[in-house]
Amino acid sequence: MKFAGIDIGSRTIKLAVIDSDGNMIVRKALTSYNPLETIAEISRGIEYDAIAATGYGRHLVKGRLECQVISEIKAFAIGARSINPASALILDIGGQDIKSILLDESGAVLRFEMNDKCAAGTGRFLEVMAVALGYDFAEFSSAALSAARAEEINSMCAVFAESEVISLIARGALRNDVALGIHKAIVSRSIALLKRVSPGTCEVFFAGGVALNECVRSLIAESLGVPVYTPPDPQIVGALGAALFEADRHMQVIPVNHDSMIISN
Amino acid sequence: MNAKESLIPLFNDEFTGQPPAKRLLAHLQSKREKNARLVGIYCGYAPVELIHALGLVPATLCAFANSTIEAAEAVLPANLCPLIKSSYGFIIKDTCPFFAISEAVIAETTCDGKKKMFELISQYRPMHVMDLPQLPDEPEAIESWTVMIGKLKGFLEKTFNCSASDADIERAIKDANEKTRKMNLVFDYLALDNPGVGWKEMYDLFFLAQSATAAEMAPVFDDVLAKLEKRKQDGYSHGAKNAPRLLVTGCPIGGDAAKVFTIIEETGGAIVAFDACTGMKPYMQFIEEGTGNPLRALAERYLKVPCSCMSPNNMRLSDMDRLVKRFRPDAVIDVVLQACHSYNVESHKIGKHVQEVHGLPFLKIVTDYSQSDMGQISTRVEALLESCDKGGKPCLR
Repeated sequence: MKFAGIDIGSRTIKLAVIDSDGNMIVRKALTSYNPLETIAEISRGIEYDAIAATGYGRHLVKGRLECQVISEIKAFAIGARSINPASALILDIGGQDIKSILLDESGAVLRFEMNDKCAAGTGRFLEVMAVALGYDFAEFSSAALSAARAEEINSMCAVFAESEVISLIARGALRNDVALGIHKAIVSRSIALLKRVSPGTCEVFFAGGVALNECVRSLIAESLGVPVYTPPDPQIVGALGAALFEADRHMQVIPVNHDSMIISN
Repeated sequence: MNAKESLIPLFNDEFTGQPPAKRLLAHLQSKREKNARLVGIYCGYAPVELIHALGLVPATLCAFANSTIEAAEAVLPANLCPLIKSSYGFIIKDTCPFFAISEAVIAETTCDGKKKMFELISQYRPMHVMDLPQLPDEPEAIESWTVMIGKLKGFLEKTFNCSASDADIERAIKDANEKTRKMNLVFDYLALDNPGVGWKEMYDLFFLAQSATAAEMAPVFDDVLAKLEKRKQDGYSHGAKNAPRLLVTGCPIGGDAAKVFTIIEETGGAIVAFDACTGMKPYMQFIEEGTGNPLRALAERYLKVPCSCMSPNNMRLSDMDRLVKRFRPDAVIDVVLQACHSYNVESHKIGKHVQEVHGLPFLKIVTDYSQSDMGQISTRVEALLESCDKGGKPCLR
């Protein structure tokens, strides 16, 4: 049997289809102003027996598609465990949300925290700041990593921080120093969220689009003094979790291949 | 026809399905037509028994609409609690029908924002501010609060040219206790395995009972209790059978903030306890009768309202213990209105208590009256309900 999971995020829609042997197909697309159309596009030609939806748009598809709906919290918990069975502390930084999740030994959610409705410290925040500094996504992280020092960014609001960045540049601050400051700001917010669910230190399973940013990864590892595990594709953890949730409902245990994993620190 | 369609609403009148304030307004207007005089109140510390004893009628003033906030923000800072901003907006826009028919307003020194907001509306109606002691365990607190209730009596007597004897107050106390007793009979139906009543019908009752006396409420309670018993006999459940049970604690909730209740029920949760001034707090205690000093008896009772403006607010924890024991929630949600510092800070203590003493999952929601965070709130509530999934595996791997 084939099980699909679809994660309808604020910026990206992810689709993961896994068969009973653990073979996986993954597709991604920008959410756009018409997520239903995007969903139809990325699932074109894909076959599956059952599907579960997660992500902020999960209820959008519920009426249109015969599917189960689970929260992102649960989807990430299942997805992270399947990739790294030892994971207990999960950080997900997506386009619109940051969440930290603490699991117990069995993988059940013990505690979770999410940011409020504003985009402070999310992937969207990084995007806005990268544009303000004239970087594309890949350059942004490497520029920050090359900085000798960090300019301090005090505002976590995406709107105010942008003005702050502009005034720093106007005062002659180096572009890459500002870039590092921005990365540090988002990391300090993530760490506060992690500490709320887990005051002690333990390895962090880092998921979501922002986990692709090497500077954020290394800063988190450095500040917490713990290893940060990033799966080969950190964006599909939620979709994979939803697919595996569906498999479990059909009494199927699927072996997930977790050999290849990017480990920073 | 399914059970829900054939269900007779607890309040089967022209206000069924409408905001509960409308029924309350109609009740107050009918009182006014019979020459009753109204006193506006904002808070659970206003001793309504004293108002009733004086032959006056308490009217709860509007505080729960997002629509009046924009006008308020022309004067008040944006980063103030929405309840205060909304209250103020209603007054300056003159859109609170309860204020329109009230001849005086009672205020209390609870939180800083309210204290200062009251100063700004003091010119619109005769206003009396009660100096609420905030260290309730100090021996002077009860002395001082008794004096303040006495001063309120003086203010109302002078403003309305009326008076109340100790016997009048004693009668009002007995009436309030009867209301508390009846209300707790209703609460028994929330304690059932499958409660046959949801938040909207409970709010119909909470709103009306804020102003009405036990005597006025008697036929309402008889009818409501009979219907609840019938629902129980019919095996009716408001939500899904064996739905996760939730205790909602924290700031007062009504109007646009009630989105949280809507989300909880839509997500599949059963709200079994309403731990707020807009819910069960007014009915958590009886007032001592026959003390010979009814003003002091009132003061004793009202000092036991566990508002986060009190320090330390130990009563909130002991009331939580009582509620958990009685209503057996599977999880607790603490609703904090944005910029309500005291409830926001106290939330940490509540969360720790709920998790460590009762072993229950805990979720804190900070929100305002806008509807823009409904997606985020529903994600959190869904995840909370998943984590207390009865009988099922909470998480798979």
